[in-house]
Amino acid sequence: MSLALKPAVVLERSTPMSGAVELVVHHPPAAAALRPGQFFQLAVAAPQTILRRPYSAAWVDPDSGRIGFIFNVVGAGSGWLAVRHEGHELDLLGPLGRGFDLDGSKPAIIVAGGLGVAVFPGVVGALVARGRQVTVLLGARTSAQLLPSGRFPGAEVMTATDDGTAGYQGSVVDLMPVALGRFPPPQGEGRGGGPEIFACGPTPMLQALLEKSRRLGVPLGLIQVSLETPMGCGVGTCLGCAIARPGGGYLLTCLDGPCVRADRVDWSRTTDAFHG
Amino acid sequence: MAEQPDLSVHLGRGLRLRSPVMVASGTFGYGFDAPLVDRTALGAIVTKGTTPRAREGNAPTRIAETPSGMLNAIGLQNPGVDHVARIYAPMWAAWVNVAGDAVDDYVGVARRLDGVAGVAGLELNISCPNIANGLQFGIDPRPAAQLTTAVRAVTRLPLLVKLTPNVTDILAVGRAVEDAGADAVSAINTYVGMAIDVRRRRPVLSRGSGGLSGPAIKPLALHAVWQLSAALSIPVVGIGGIMTAADALEFLLAGAAAVQLGTVNYVRPQAAREVRDGIASYLDEHHLGDLGALPIRPARVEAHV
Repeated sequence: MSLALKPAVVLERSTPMSGAVELVVHHPPAAAALRPGQFFQLAVAAPQTILRRPYSAAWVDPDSGRIGFIFNVVGAGSGWLAVRHEGHELDLLGPLGRGFDLDGSKPAIIVAGGLGVAVFPGVVGALVARGRQVTVLLGARTSAQLLPSGRFPGAEVMTATDDGTAGYQGSVVDLMPVALGRFPPPQGEGRGGGPEIFACGPTPMLQALLEKSRRLGVPLGLIQVSLETPMGCGVGTCLGCAIARPGGGYLLTCLDGPCVRADRVDWSRTTDAFHG
Repeated sequence: MAEQPDLSVHLGRGLRLRSPVMVASGTFGYGFDAPLVDRTALGAIVTKGTTPRAREGNAPTRIAETPSGMLNAIGLQNPGVDHVARIYAPMWAAWVNVAGDAVDDYVGVARRLDGVAGVAGLELNISCPNIANGLQFGIDPRPAAQLTTAVRAVTRLPLLVKLTPNVTDILAVGRAVEDAGADAVSAINTYVGMAIDVRRRRPVLSRGSGGLSGPAIKPLALHAVWQLSAALSIPVVGIGGIMTAADALEFLLAGAAAVQLGTVNYVRPQAAREVRDGIASYLDEHHLGDLGALPIRPARVEAHV
């Protein structure tokens, strides 16, 4: 594990889509160590807050030492982060956890619900760089909350909004049959045939995706998800970020994830957690 | 450079720690999971609560941040004492925090660990708020004493008893475990608390309640330590929301012989080093030769050295 100890420096702040903030920080060692899908524990100094905040990196540029983070303001910690600006120092711990396994060669379908999109610019970039065909399915409540498709160069982007202001009106999960229809169907229960799926979003969306995939004959082992749970330490000590495992017991999001194959999680014992 | 102040402390049974800074149970795993903590700053590691058999722990959600604190309801997830004795103990020197549901559980764990190289001492967790009956021994002087006596009978290891603040009279429990053979007490464990998710209209933690730690409880913990260190003749290890050297010094001034860092380990892995060095600087600046000069009130503490 390579862990950043010196603070990162904020280079820029912007608004990538409505309600969200993108911070770009400079930390060459962390940027060099980062694998797509890994996360950092960011220290926040907002009054009355204690814990670091876990954020997956949105993207990384190892050559320039830059790392991007995209997040919504949902509470005191993210509110504090949202007003960092150029020149501020940011105490970050990481990169932590397991990123996505990008080593396959199958076409890839990205399914991103809401802020779940925040982990994917770098993942899509890495997949495209590996020569893989990538389709990105983006879902949001309304068009203003969609990350622009220009953030996914080299990939085809399809969108869905709850209010129909962009793309398909409805859940991003409903785009799955269309996206899957372009590829030969998966063969049997193994990992052969069909595209590989990478997903991140609210737990109900992931559950709907898995149910839809099951009906479409996609093996769970072909689906990787980025998990989000409340987190204490981020390094496996506090045991706070448990996720139920099939057959009993728990994974830790920080060590076993955040990116795991969907068949490693007992989704019937997993609910959306509170984020204050 | 001036002579280094003596930061060693005695916690009973001839046990001398090189530093008064320990890490609190549950915030350091079994000592392998905190890659950034500078161990040379530590007087001792206290492990995750260890039970006779492995425990899975509670269903998520297990933790929640609250104002200046955090709630946890981990539920004593641990691999069981046999695994700890066989696999972990050969790799370290640590105090093992002992937990269970019945006297026999504690006695069994203590017996299994007696004479195991690497186990420096035991901390009896009679105060876990996060399992069924976890508080049964800690809230009443009589069962607390019975448990301490039973464990004392089967181990030669130094015995620290971790007290719960979820009581009317912590002194009564402290005196009871002292009389029953505890070498020292650690105070305090977490306060029972809860948080509610207003949007979903349900408790945030799956178990409903959990244990509150962090700066939110520091003044309460400090008062408990102040009372205990005046009332007991065994050392008191202060715990509760210590984030800085100044916080630790408050506990040492209140009469604690040593301190444990908990929640801060999750946030600032360098805290143990900062606190240890900050205490040393304080002694140096005030021309105090050792920690024994710190307590505000005349010391009653005479460790069993």
